[in-house]
Order: sequence, then C-alpha cells, then structure tokens
Amino acid sequence: MEMESKKSKLAPLKGYLIFFVLLGAWKIACNMGIWSSYLLPPPEKVAATFLKMLENGTLFVHIYASMHRVVVGFVISAAIGIPLGIIFGMHPRVYDYWKVLFNVIRNVPPLAMVPMLILWFGIGEKSKIIIIILASFFPIFTSTLKGIRSCDPKLIEVGKAFELTRLQIIRKIIIPNAVLDIAVGLKLALGYSFRAIIGAELVAASAGLGYMISDGKEMSRSDVVIVGILVIGLLGVLCDWLFSILVRKVSKGKAVEAYD
Amino acid sequence: MTKSMYELQNVTKNFLVNGDEHIVLEDINLTISSEDITVILGASGCGKTTLLRIIANLEIASSGQITFLKEKQKAVPKVGLVFQESRLMPWLTVSGNIGFHQKATKEEIAYYLKMMKLEKFHNSYPNELSGGMAQRVSIARALSFQPDFLLMDEPFSALDYFTRMEMQKEVIRIHKETNKGVLFVTHDLDEALTIGTRIIVFTKEHKLKEFSLSNREVDRVDLKQRILNTLR
Repeated sequence: MEMESKKSKLAPLKGYLIFFVLLGAWKIACNMGIWSSYLLPPPEKVAATFLKMLENGTLFVHIYASMHRVVVGFVISAAIGIPLGIIFGMHPRVYDYWKVLFNVIRNVPPLAMVPMLILWFGIGEKSKIIIIILASFFPIFTSTLKGIRSCDPKLIEVGKAFELTRLQIIRKIIIPNAVLDIAVGLKLALGYSFRAIIGAELVAASAGLGYMISDGKEMSRSDVVIVGILVIGLLGVLCDWLFSILVRKVSKGKAVEAYD
Repeated sequence: MTKSMYELQNVTKNFLVNGDEHIVLEDINLTISSEDITVILGASGCGKTTLLRIIANLEIASSGQITFLKEKQKAVPKVGLVFQESRLMPWLTVSGNIGFHQKATKEEIAYYLKMMKLEKFHNSYPNELSGGMAQRVSIARALSFQPDFLLMDEPFSALDYFTRMEMQKEVIRIHKETNKGVLFVTHDLDEALTIGTRIIVFTKEHKLKEFSLSNREVDRVDLKQRILNTLR
C-alpha cells in the first residue's frame, strides 16, 4: 500500500526525467567536442547567461515586452471571438454570409501578413498586436462556435418544458454548455499567440523574446538564443498549466484528458 | 385536494415522412384526471410518446383540442416533465439541477432532496450519479417546478430491474404524498400494472382502450391477459 501511494505521488514527475537525460546528453556531446561551442554552447554557459540576464533584468524586460503584447492581443481576440462565436452559433444563416471570408483569413498564416501590416501600421506595437489577434482569434471563435452549435437539443427541450424563455435558454443552457469548449479555445489561442509574437518580434522589434533571439543570432551569442528558446518553452508550459486549471474548473467532471 | 384534468377532443397528429403523410394519432378522445396514475401503454412506435409530447406542449397536434381544467375552470397547465433519459445539466450539481428552472426556493430544493433521498449527493455532478439516482434528480426537478401534472415518458426504461422496482414505488408514493396527477408512458405491461390506477392501451388499430385498476379487487392475472389480447 505504502509503495503504491509513493508510486502515485511520483507519477507526475515521470515526464521531467527526459530533461535530465537530454541535459546529460548535451553535456556529454559538448565534452566530446562533436560540435564547436559556438554551435552548441555547454549547458553551464547557457545557465550562467540565464542567471546573468536575470540579475541585470534584461530577461524580464524581454519577457514583459512579449507578454504585454500577447495579453493585449489575446484579450482583444477573446472580447471579439467569444461574442461573435455565440452570435454566429445562434444564427447559422447569418454566419453563412461570413463563413467563406473567415475560412480564407483563417488559412492565411499570420506571419504572412507581417510585411503588409508593417506597411500599414509601422513597426510599432500595433502591427504586433494585430498579428496576435489574427493568430488567436480563430481558435477562440471556432471553439465557441462549436460549443454553441453542439448543444444537445434534448437539453434545450428541457428548457422549453420548464417554460424558459429563449433568452433564458441561451443564458442557462446554451452558453454554460459551451463554456468548456470556450476555455479549450482560449488555451489553444494562447499557444498560437506565443508562436505568432515570437515570429513577429524576429522580424521587427526592439524588445521581446523574439527580438532577444534575433539579436543573439546577430551577435553570434548562441547561449542567448538558447536562453530565449528555453524561456519561451517555460512560459508556454506555465500558461498552458494555468489554463489547464481553468479548463478543469469549468469542466465539472467532464472528460478533459483529450485537451491535455 | 386540487382536482385537475386534461380533456383531449379529436386529437390527430400527422407527420410527413418522405413526402407521404403518416398518421400517428387519429381522433383521440380522452380524459386524464389528477386523481389517477394514468398509464399509457403500447408497443414501440404506436404514438404514446407523441401523445405525451402533445399534452406537454412540446409538439402541436395537427387537429383537435386539448383543454386543461383546474377546479373545473380552464387553465394553463404547469407540467413537470420526466424524460426517458435524465437530461440533467452536466455542469450543475444535483441541487442546481433541481432548482434549474428557478421556480424553487432553497428550502424547497432541500425538501425535494430529502424526499428523493438525495441529501448526501446535493453537491455531486450528474456524471457522479448512478442511473437511478440521476432519474430521481430528474423527478425532483419536475416536482420542484410545482407542476399540476407530472408527465413521465418511459422514465425507467434504461434502469435495471431492482432500481426500476424501487422507482415505481417512488412514483406511487409521490402521487399519494403530493396529490399530483401522473401521466406515465411505458411499453412494459408489468410496470403499467404495478403503478397505474388507470391504464390506457394503444391498440393495433391506433385506437385507445381503457382499463381501470381503481377497484383493488380486480383480478390482475385476468386483466393482464385482457390487456395482452388488446395489444396483440
């Protein structure tokens, strides 16, 4: 029994073992001199650069710049995508007029828009936030749309049987039923936002994690590039974890493993 | 005790199936009193659920009239519907589901939780309940709506034998305790004989035939045989 409880406590840590293996392999590869330290700096050099950037605060400046853009773009996307998903989900005939346009925009990678956005909005914050919106709007919109459309007609019939008005049925059945899908859409959208902002910052920025990586490349500082990559990964995992908590909270016992 | 009743006059219901008119109910004349547990019995596809859905106002009759009388006065009925499946809102707890229609106070919800022996599970979600418990929540939800009539559409068909027996007793108890009229649709003859005080059978010819069980001395074996002969 004791062994079993110990095993179950250690189970979540299983996924982290691979990092120790990779770290070991990285160190061994560096010691064997397979690649030059320019191409693959040793782990201790990357760790020292990471600590130095933490100490002098440059890392926080870049994280803040990227996160600020992501949060602003993401919030705007959610503010537009959720209500629009609800409206189009409730009025499929209206959506028919927009569907093709939305599908065209959805299939254009946001980064393909960068040159035009820079021309139209300059290299300031506006163009980067628009890229985030383009990247994160569709996961939120389509998930909301799916959640609204997939409401079981039998549940709607329960509302009718208990004399609920149309507005009450939307508020008490259709929207609560879509909450899990909306939360999953938000979670996906955040991941898409990160990918898009780093791409946008690689092209045109003066701060942010993408800029940090680009600058590291220009200055031949592969250790800075690796720090940038690892920080992006960590931030992504952190945001994903926070949203997993949200998804679990709103799932109320529904199966959500598929979204992990 | 408030007496209420449904009066159905010449109720007909047609459906269009691949362009052809399909008559499900034809000229149905029926009175359903709140003093009875009225069971509508018939084979699958005979139209019993359609009849219940028309009475519940979930479907509209092609022709005919349905009148609801409360203390001999015409009234708009309040209906507590229990479906074949529990149809609980998965995101609401047991208490939330019982008070889902916002027509019940906290005290009333507590009362129905106790009545249906669900107090321990008031904070549980539907996916944490057994089939029988979920159906009890569904009945509690219908009762807390303070209906004039309880309409039940094969509510126990998905339950196992023992749970079904228990739930059938529950329906009889609720009828006695609340004095609410019960209209119960089933295809199970034994279930109809267990809970019904009046059985309405759909014949093969889409006509209705009534059997009363209010007289306790009725020979049930003989009655069962007569109902079987009507169904065949």
